Amino acid sequence: MVFSRQLRIAAGTFMSVLCLLSTQLHAQEVPQEPVVQAPPKNLIDLNEGVSFEIAPHTGLMGSSGTFGLKLSMNYSAFTLELAGEQVIGRTANLYPISVNALLNLSTRGQLIPYGTVGGGLLLTVPTNTIGDQTVSTLGVNFGGGARYYITKTFGFRVEGKQYVTSVSNDRESKNELLFFQEISVGVTFMLH
Amino acid sequence: MTHRYLLYITIVVSMAFTAQESARAQLRYENSLSLSAGAYAASGFGTNHFVGVRYNYFFLGGRYFVEGSLGFGSLRSRVLENVAKSQVFSSERLYAYEFVFAYDAFPSGFLPFFAFGVAGLNQGGESTFAGVLGLGKRIPLAGFLGTNQLGVRYDIRDQIFSQRINDSDPYIAHNLVFTFGLQFYF
Repeated sequence: MVFSRQLRIAAGTFMSVLCLLSTQLHAQEVPQEPVVQAPPKNLIDLNEGVSFEIAPHTGLMGSSGTFGLKLSMNYSAFTLELAGEQVIGRTANLYPISVNALLNLSTRGQLIPYGTVGGGLLLTVPTNTIGDQTVSTLGVNFGGGARYYITKTFGFRVEGKQYVTSVSNDRESKNELLFFQEISVGVTFMLH
Repeated sequence: MTHRYLLYITIVVSMAFTAQESARAQLRYENSLSLSAGAYAASGFGTNHFVGVRYNYFFLGGRYFVEGSLGFGSLRSRVLENVAKSQVFSSERLYAYEFVFAYDAFPSGFLPFFAFGVAGLNQGGESTFAGVLGLGKRIPLAGFLGTNQLGVRYDIRDQIFSQRINDSDPYIAHNLVFTFGLQFYF
């Protein structure tokens, strides 16, 4: 017990000396606050060539929470996008995987609104039911959103989308159209 | 006992001064990666170890940042094991990923930053969407090991979600995460 207390005191003293030492070492430098400058008028210019973006996001599809990642390639007003998501449901998770085409309504500045259309697979994976299997269906989506850039490499993104898919109803031997609405917010990292 | 309190005060004051002096040197870095370890208190299951990795992107002078993190823990409950002799989920595996936005009003001071966001929890194979509130502090170690790119941090997070166990009525659960980590700025 005595040894344990001494050990704690020794460890604490060592941490204190370490912290004070680092302060002294740093005191020899002249600290400079970074100057937050107003962003230039054309912070982003998609006409400069091909650029890539990575955009993690979260949101809601119906009443279920979503997480996702978008990988994009920009070329002027056109953007090609690969998107994957997880929609967390109570009895199953939905994984929409899609390829989307975006039309950028502006190619310069901080704010870039866009419209989007695409298609892909919707995988429904049951989580806590026994015997059910993964169901995959084809679906299309369309919607719009906007990216707002804080710096040349970082910005925020909001998006609203409508998903449409067709599932077969085995009981009534017919196909049914299903509609899902999604809103999402996230960030985007621009790779020049 | 008095010596111990004096020691604690010395440590806190030392770290506060260190943070004030050396945080400025790290404001110029935009990214950081952290390795964190600590405790995960899962509502109704008890507390177990937790390890994770965090990525941060800082902007507007380091006063704001976004963070993505992934962590792994356990849902082991000695009460359920030894007393109730039951298991709620099919496994004790737990992992959580978080996306949070944080405001650090005093990156050079000793007050903590505040964070909010969302998390995906996987408890024994069942996924849950959660809201996240939390606070924490980055404590840079400028000049330590000859570099300005290292720091330590602590984080406290409350993952708030609707829990439903064995078809019970849903209730609001709070999973608390306490971690301490080593941070690398680049």
